[in-house]
Amino acid sequence: MSTTSHKTWPKLTGRDEFQFLAELVLKRSTGDHTLVSLQDQQSGTTRFANNQIVQNVDTRRGSLRVTVAFGRRHGTAGTTDLSAGAVQETVARATQIAHVSPDDPEYLPPVEPQSYLTPPTTRAETAAAGPARRLEYTNEAIGQCRMENLGAAGIVTSSIATVGMAASTGLFAHEERTDARFSLTVQAGEATGWGAAAHRSIDHLRVQERTLTAIDKAKRGLEVREMPPGRYTVILEPAAVAGLWSSLLWTLDAKSYEKGTSALTGKLGQPIVDTRLTFRNLPTHEDLLGIGFTSNGLPTMASDWITDGVLTQLSYDRFTAKERGIGKIPTLDAPCLSGTGASLPTLQELITHTERAILVTNLWYIRTVNPTDLTLTGMTRDGTFLVENGKIVSAVKNFRFHESPLRVFNRIGAFTKPAEAITSETGKLLVPAMTLHDFNFSSVTRF
Amino acid sequence: MSAPSWDELAELALKRVVASGAEYGDVRFLDSTTQTIRGEDRRIASIQDMQDRGIGIRVLYHGAWGFAASSVLSLEEAPRVAELAIEIAKGSASLVIEKVKLADELVHRDRIVTARRIDPFAVALDKKTALLLETMESVHRQPGIVRSSASLWARRDRKLFVSTEGSRLEFDLLAVNGDFDATAIHDGRFASRSFNTPFLRMGYELIEDANFLDEAPRIAAQAVEKVKAPTVEPGLYDLVLDPEHLSLTMHESCGHPSELDRALGYEANYAGTSFLTTEKRGTFRYGSRHVNLVADNCESETLAATGYDDDGVACQRWDIVRDGIFVGYCTNREVAPKIGETRSRGSNRADSWGSVPIVRIANIGLEPGTATLDELLADVKHGIYIEGHGSYSIDQRRYNFQFGGDAFWMIENGKRTHMVRDVIYHGITPEFWNSCDGVADRSHRRRYGFITCGKGQPSQSGWMTHAASHARFRNVNVIGGQAGS
Repeated sequence: MSTTSHKTWPKLTGRDEFQFLAELVLKRSTGDHTLVSLQDQQSGTTRFANNQIVQNVDTRRGSLRVTVAFGRRHGTAGTTDLSAGAVQETVARATQIAHVSPDDPEYLPPVEPQSYLTPPTTRAETAAAGPARRLEYTNEAIGQCRMENLGAAGIVTSSIATVGMAASTGLFAHEERTDARFSLTVQAGEATGWGAAAHRSIDHLRVQERTLTAIDKAKRGLEVREMPPGRYTVILEPAAVAGLWSSLLWTLDAKSYEKGTSALTGKLGQPIVDTRLTFRNLPTHEDLLGIGFTSNGLPTMASDWITDGVLTQLSYDRFTAKERGIGKIPTLDAPCLSGTGASLPTLQELITHTERAILVTNLWYIRTVNPTDLTLTGMTRDGTFLVENGKIVSAVKNFRFHESPLRVFNRIGAFTKPAEAITSETGKLLVPAMTLHDFNFSSVTRF
Repeated sequence: MSAPSWDELAELALKRVVASGAEYGDVRFLDSTTQTIRGEDRRIASIQDMQDRGIGIRVLYHGAWGFAASSVLSLEEAPRVAELAIEIAKGSASLVIEKVKLADELVHRDRIVTARRIDPFAVALDKKTALLLETMESVHRQPGIVRSSASLWARRDRKLFVSTEGSRLEFDLLAVNGDFDATAIHDGRFASRSFNTPFLRMGYELIEDANFLDEAPRIAAQAVEKVKAPTVEPGLYDLVLDPEHLSLTMHESCGHPSELDRALGYEANYAGTSFLTTEKRGTFRYGSRHVNLVADNCESETLAATGYDDDGVACQRWDIVRDGIFVGYCTNREVAPKIGETRSRGSNRADSWGSVPIVRIANIGLEPGTATLDELLADVKHGIYIEGHGSYSIDQRRYNFQFGGDAFWMIENGKRTHMVRDVIYHGITPEFWNSCDGVADRSHRRRYGFITCGKGQPSQSGWMTHAASHARFRNVNVIGGQAGS
């Protein structure tokens, strides 16, 4: 059963309750195939700015989706009302849609019963955390900033969710997932410093450490110089690497690959990045947010995607996988990028071993400019510095960049061990900090 | 036993809020139905009909906010949610520095209903799927097309807002959209061209009037022309931008910086702040004298014209930029008093019952000028005409921007000539708007809506409409999509 220790929290839909709902749906459905999925979540966020709380919210949302199919005609309906009457009405709506839908040549029945990994998806301390715990972390971050006469803006979030899948094929899966997040922007006049974390355990957010790092970055930004646009050696912190690398992940779609509308088309089995890089999925890793099953009930699995720089895997939808005879579909729920060979232990070591470079804390508003070669643009943000002779010598005004991960990850100098990374534009990954050569900064902004 | 009415639940919740000693509280119920039909490569990939309903309760206690929400609508849950919102507000109050003081607003009791000729939910599904399938078939008849997509979307929101001040507002709102696109391949590269209806608050007549089947051959042919077009030479160009393209440029470079909560630092950790800081209001030259940007949440059929916002403030029309000078912000009841304004502009919106309302961009539009499109083009020797939306990126204070587009034509000696590809222009916001030297007249005015404007943590999607006529900008830096090569 679900864990809900806070006194005012309602009980989320546990395994037995979901089984009851699923049986209600499956009994009621007249379809050839029926799939039902549940997401029931209690989530709270304390948001602060200018050193005080500006939003403090807590939401419980339960939702059920039902897909009914007759042959290859299918329809989906959903509801946030989990009462028996509403669930039955949802089945009826999905059925009505399926009856009038045209045949979908790519439709496949729900998957058969599966065996799942049991990743560490839930932590009791996060499930038990409520507004008071979020307030405690908020107070800690704001307090540190106030002591330095700086401004704090950020969030502390904790959530618990129950997720379920069931189908007329006998498929049944149910899992509890917790999630805790912290991010902070420290403002020192015009300068900003930033840090962020996400983890299954709220105890693992390292609020104090990340706050002090963000404070240090903001204070270093008080004196800023403008550097001209051009090609520079850069040191990308893990968050910045995550931003660039995540853009590469969207292009792994197998259908686009086969239709010729992916930047990776024709590159399967070929080197696409530096041969020292390997990219894997690790669902059971304690510091990643792996899950037991996907949104269509498939099991997650450990898998290799890029090995020694060579692209070895694509991201398959079920139809394309069937067409290609792919039995087990690899998932990308817990991505980890690592380097082989000599690496440096810390970001600080990377800085120490650098003669001249731009150190980038984070990248922001990353968008594709040219999908054919995956040229991206975006801005540096919240801590951009000039490194000379192994030391940070000053902050620099933020740059716009134009680069393709397919080019720049072939120009790697040094790298660290993988570290936790998350940004407002990416999921959580483990990635190294890296030195990259000839990084194209195309323009400079005003701050 | 029948389900309790929203009014019954609201009364239960507000009683708890009042009894707690809170200075303000409101209750929002929202019941949203969203139908999405998505076609891909000549097939209907999915039809979804999603119902999302719940209650959100906001409490202001000793100058600090608390908010709680639930999808369970019961006599037990409504008071629990109210108590939780109160408890959370008390926690917020423990860290308060500057107490929230809401700008005054009249008490309103009203009912708002979207006018519609054809209820989108009453249109037979097979008619909708047939339209999408025929559209994709038409697209694929064009040699060179390898992929297509087409979709229809409709949303109905039934909402009730009740506050401790006595306001009671009922809403029955609609919004509709449709789009399709075509992707062509040539010589190892690919390119897409798209067609979009403008996301408006009206009925299915929006889709019927859009004539997908008439437009599909043109869009497909232009996708092929685009992928085969020569790449643009980087350099300085005069640009003539169409209204759809301008809707995004205005949204990013004017809309977001004019949100007062951003200027005050509320979004510093996520969406960012604003270069339009409060001391610039009334004096800062944002653009040339041709640039008049007006927020109008009263224009019928537009997304932000909902009668009242989620503060219960009546929708209004006001200036953001007048004769090139920055003069006004988008505000809510919380932030308006911080710049000495006595009334909110009514731009406080939540994207669901489970979200707390935040300041959102209003329906900001570029006021028409006096020229015709032909006159704007005629005075360009070496320029580019841009239609639609493409890649876009902007820094967190909204200074350094970059925009692509959906389709590009060279303008040579006053005439639109041939297509080019990979056009990306970039600049600094006020420099760009100061380079505007002409806006087309009202007969060229078009409206485009956005429903995915990201802001807030947890992230919310804002809805607004931006209208414009074509406009001309001089000597803009075009860098081309090959900038990283």
